[in-house]
Amino acid sequence: MDLQAIAFYVLSAVTIGSALMVVTARNPVHSVLFLITTFFTCAGLFVMLGAEFLAMLLVVVYVGAVAVLFLFVVMMLDVDFGSLRSGFARYLPIGGVAAAVLLGEMILVASAVGDRGAAVTTHYGASPYSNTEQIGRVLYTDYIYFFEAAGMVLLVAMIGAIVLTLRHKPGIKRQVIADQTARSASNGMRIITDVKIGQGIDA
Amino acid sequence: MSVGLNPYLAVAAILFTIGVFGIFVNRRNIIIIMMAVELILLAVNINLVAFSSFLHEVTGQIFAMFVLTVAAAEAAVGLAILVTFFRNRGDILVDRANMMKG
Amino acid sequence: MTFSGALSVALPELILSVGILALLVVGAFVGDKGTRPVALGAGLVLVTSAAAACFGPQGAAFNNGFVEDQAAVFAKVVIYLVSAVGLIIAEPWLKRVNGSRFEYPILVLLAALGMGMMVSAGNLISLYIGVELQSLALYVLAAFRRDDPRASEAGLKYFILGALSSGILLYGASLIYGFAGSTRFTDIAAAVQSGAGTGLIFGLVFLICGIAFKVSAAPFHMWTPDVYEGAPTAVVAFLTAGPKLAGMVLFARALANGFPGAVEQWRQVLIAIALISMLWGAFAGLAQTNLKRLWAYSSIANVGYALVGLASGTQEGVQAMLVFMTLYIIDVTGFFACLVALSRDGRPMETFEDMAGLFKERPGVAAAMTIFSLSALGMPPFSGFWGKVYVFKAAAAANLQWLAAIGLLSSVVAAFYYLRLIKTMWFDPTRGTTDASPLDARGVAFVAAAFSFPVVMPALALIDPLSKAAASAFGLN
Repeated sequence: MDLQAIAFYVLSAVTIGSALMVVTARNPVHSVLFLITTFFTCAGLFVMLGAEFLAMLLVVVYVGAVAVLFLFVVMMLDVDFGSLRSGFARYLPIGGVAAAVLLGEMILVASAVGDRGAAVTTHYGASPYSNTEQIGRVLYTDYIYFFEAAGMVLLVAMIGAIVLTLRHKPGIKRQVIADQTARSASNGMRIITDVKIGQGIDA
Repeated sequence: MSVGLNPYLAVAAILFTIGVFGIFVNRRNIIIIMMAVELILLAVNINLVAFSSFLHEVTGQIFAMFVLTVAAAEAAVGLAILVTFFRNRGDILVDRANMMKG
Repeated sequence: MTFSGALSVALPELILSVGILALLVVGAFVGDKGTRPVALGAGLVLVTSAAAACFGPQGAAFNNGFVEDQAAVFAKVVIYLVSAVGLIIAEPWLKRVNGSRFEYPILVLLAALGMGMMVSAGNLISLYIGVELQSLALYVLAAFRRDDPRASEAGLKYFILGALSSGILLYGASLIYGFAGSTRFTDIAAAVQSGAGTGLIFGLVFLICGIAFKVSAAPFHMWTPDVYEGAPTAVVAFLTAGPKLAGMVLFARALANGFPGAVEQWRQVLIAIALISMLWGAFAGLAQTNLKRLWAYSSIANVGYALVGLASGTQEGVQAMLVFMTLYIIDVTGFFACLVALSRDGRPMETFEDMAGLFKERPGVAAAMTIFSLSALGMPPFSGFWGKVYVFKAAAAANLQWLAAIGLLSSVVAAFYYLRLIKTMWFDPTRGTTDASPLDARGVAFVAAAFSFPVVMPALALIDPLSKAAASAFGLN
């Protein structure tokens, strides 16, 4: 067994183990942390496959943004997590059976036909470009349509998140920097004369 | 490469299964369900990148990139909906999400 | 193809995208006061896109990622117009519930853009991005009334099951990519032709399951009743129309363009799904008391009928599916427009009890609802009958007589709940007065009812050749 094989087995074991912990951990904060571990080791697998750019994306986008977003929501919602787990044992048998069947089927297929699939149809020679360069060469040319469409998907996400969660509370005073800088002695000061006793000043 | 395609596909299959399993088992905690969905998408990405690598063809990696992008958008929308749900209900239990029966 | 040529092929989507961005800027500056102008602009953009799809150039662009053919044009015109009708219902409704927000029309436009991408998909990647663009916009629309606990619950359920189905769809897509070596449907078709291995078929089954989720075919329908009940009625009127047709055309596109060499395999899966959908929609509908849930089950059954057409695996079958879906979505839009139009003491009327004696109260709306129910039941001479004639004829021609017979049987079962609704409206004693019904929703309902009968007869003379040309674009026998 060479180094690559050892690396593969270690990385995939950690990936699978931490993925299991994501769905079984008692505390959702732990789940998020295990999710980060899963993504991280997965990035290692991507590197072994020669997909450095995606490995980097996985770390930056997932560990950096999505997982932190999850963590943020977990913390923000401040839910009583003890009660959430009580249904676990009840659903365990049915979930276990469904999972076992699914897994058996897929391993069967993967092992039966994997060799006949992708591995035999290697009709592209080794590329002179690096992985990132290869992606960059086609992303904005051959795949420009998908690239633009993905932009629209992100726009939907942005509009959706704003529509659903942004609230303008009435009665809150916000800082308006333009007004502050435009303020001068002529409009900022007022000389008040003739104050009646016991009535105060109505600003 | 000393490790063939099959082991990668097997890892992806296991991750996919864990994701589906997680959705079944954690019927109550929506945040965990969303993380299980992320695991499913990660499994898809391993599949795509492994195929892409063994086909010596970059399309799979492009596809994986778009899956990553869209999954991030999906997580944002999902968490936003979850926040509104929480504001209305004060909890995030799916079991109690039963104003509608059927 | 040159870049400008490619852009001209994608002109409808280009108009939509530019329209979305422009209206977004307008909305951001004017705020929620500008909901009506933004909605008007959105309607204009949709109609313009439909016209552009009608008269613009056709062809495949962007490396076959985008296919504009007769089928795409047919579907796009229907989808864009029905989305515009959805806006006609929704904008005044938002105003009535004090929920006017300019984002609503923009999200409708984004969903329409996603649907346009779906029906034009020529590549697994554009299929996925189109589906997601549409779905994400619909999740937000379902939860749009964020202070309504039922709406946010509906949005959450829709999101979770939708995200799961996307994952399944993607897993299938990744397997297809791996075993065909490409994401383009044309290349996949070539790979299938030279021998469809287990891996490809396995991926295909996952893909079919994922899309079946999106069109709410049984046994992947569990989100439908809850979402229909919880989401605001005006939103349901939108999400039950266009997205269903887009999903069905996507089915046809992926199967006929990507797997013409495996017709026998996918036919079997579709037959099973169609069978379960028809029966489940008919029998589970019997137990419902809420009309929105009832029509959710009705839509499951109707998707089943449309899938019978597709399961024929012939050009005639695809044509039948297109005609059936077009007639069905006009009916269902009309029905939900009626529900939007009805309220009592400010509360929407959604149950059988609410509908008691409606005929004495609002004869026009009750008559329209009667027409839609009879049509959905398949009573001649209403539009639903003609749709079913197309579907069952195609099924019989493809040696699926038994499936057509079961379809008829489930129609008879479903007739029970439609007739129960009609009986409740016409003969039961009334329960208090209804509020004044808004003109816009009522108008849409009356126009749709007029289409259901008698306009459908001359309209079919137009739809028939168009749908035939559209179906021929898929290249099945």
